[in-house]
Amino acid sequence: MATAGMLCAARALRPRSWIPGICQTQTRHTHQRTSLLSFWELIPMRAEPLRKKKKVDPKKDQAAKDRLKRRIRKLEKATQELIPIEDFITPVRFLDKSRQRLQEEHSSEESEQRALLLKRWALYKKQEHEAERDTITALLEAQQEALQELKLESPELYAEAMKRDCSLFPFEKEGPHHTPPISNYQAPEGRYNDITKLPTPNYKSSNNDWERRLQSYSEGKVSGRFSDQSAAAFVS
Amino acid sequence: MAAPMGRTLLGVARGWRRLDSLWAGSPRSRHLSLEAAPSGSRSPWRLLGALCLQRPPLITKPLTPLQQEMADLLQKVETERSLYSDHELRALDEAKRLAKKKADLYDDDQDEQGITLAQDLEDAWEQAFLQFKPGARVTEADKKNDRTSLHRKLDRNLVLLVREKLGDQDFWMLPQVEWQPGETLRGTAERILTKLSENNMEAKFLGNAPCGHYKFKLPKAIRTESDIGVKVFFFKALLLTGDFSQTGKKARHVWVSKEELGDYLQPKYLAQVRRFLLDV
Repeated sequence: MATAGMLCAARALRPRSWIPGICQTQTRHTHQRTSLLSFWELIPMRAEPLRKKKKVDPKKDQAAKDRLKRRIRKLEKATQELIPIEDFITPVRFLDKSRQRLQEEHSSEESEQRALLLKRWALYKKQEHEAERDTITALLEAQQEALQELKLESPELYAEAMKRDCSLFPFEKEGPHHTPPISNYQAPEGRYNDITKLPTPNYKSSNNDWERRLQSYSEGKVSGRFSDQSAAAFVS
Repeated sequence: MAAPMGRTLLGVARGWRRLDSLWAGSPRSRHLSLEAAPSGSRSPWRLLGALCLQRPPLITKPLTPLQQEMADLLQKVETERSLYSDHELRALDEAKRLAKKKADLYDDDQDEQGITLAQDLEDAWEQAFLQFKPGARVTEADKKNDRTSLHRKLDRNLVLLVREKLGDQDFWMLPQVEWQPGETLRGTAERILTKLSENNMEAKFLGNAPCGHYKFKLPKAIRTESDIGVKVFFFKALLLTGDFSQTGKKARHVWVSKEELGDYLQPKYLAQVRRFLLDV
């Protein structure tokens, strides 16, 4: 009785297959359907409606840290700390007025003598420069003539002579001194203290130093000018 | 001028004939590769490489009067425009104190100034400077005029000259040697250096190109179709270290500055050589 009722229901559920030849068990062959969505729509998955995903707390912290890191990097790039040139910084003790020499007035004869000497010197240097230039042109001329003669002689030797000599430079030679070196000279013995000041930067950036940098940033120590630390380093 | 030139050329030519007989066996090709040269390519000029070895100056030249004046003026101007140094300030203070002491004629608490005055320091420095004896600018060799030693004329460039026999006569010239096929001309010059010095001297060659040349034709009596004359190519080198082992009257070499070249070299040769030597 129950089976007859079941069969009737099944027959009722069956869609009418008008097309002859199609198997009457078509309803349950879901692998022959084109879209899978229809399959999932048939079977409800959730009981409640869809909601927006809540942000996890560790991720929020990480994002905040990233923002801070980016800001610190920008600040560091902007404030390039240059090593100060000590020759360009006048020490304070030289600004004293007592250091200044009395400016003596020169007599008119003396200033005239000076002017005439400068004129003679300018003339002398001009002559010296012209003589040097002429010497160089003469040297080059002699060399060119020699090379022409060599070319007439043998082209291979000429080609060899025209090659650049790579071992010529760098060429180091000590210039002439005022007096010649003393033979068997014994230099006096002694020690020396090297007091050259090496510039130390404000701090060295390392990849793993972020905690300290974050802290110093929060304390307001990272700035565009020399901090007190660096000033102390240079004065000592 | 022409007659002695002719004679010297004859002597040279005879010398070349002798050298030619010595080198009869050497290959005649001028090519650097080892292939046999075609018969028509050999040039009628003989090639020689020569070495212009110079010793650069060790000390500066003395200043001319104008240069000395200018140097003094510049020094004066520099002191006028400068500030007082610590030492000078100290000297001024002490001078003031001494003047005050003399004027006031009583000793205050001025005894703290210390024992050493600035003047004393300066005197001590002066003494220490006088005790040091620098090397002499005018050496012994200068005084004796020993031209074979390297320690003369320390403020000038010195060039090496050697005495060679060509034919019957001795000639002074820059050291030269016949070029051998298979080497560059600079290689010839380097060979001269090692041969002369027996590997004692080190020199820095200034480039691959020759700095000058000298050519002369053999006299007509000896000239042939295949042997017109000789071309000498000079290469400059700066002497770095080393010297000849033999000096004195027996030596066949001489170190000479540009003015003294005229005492040794033949006129035409001299004219060509002077072109590539600096006046220093």
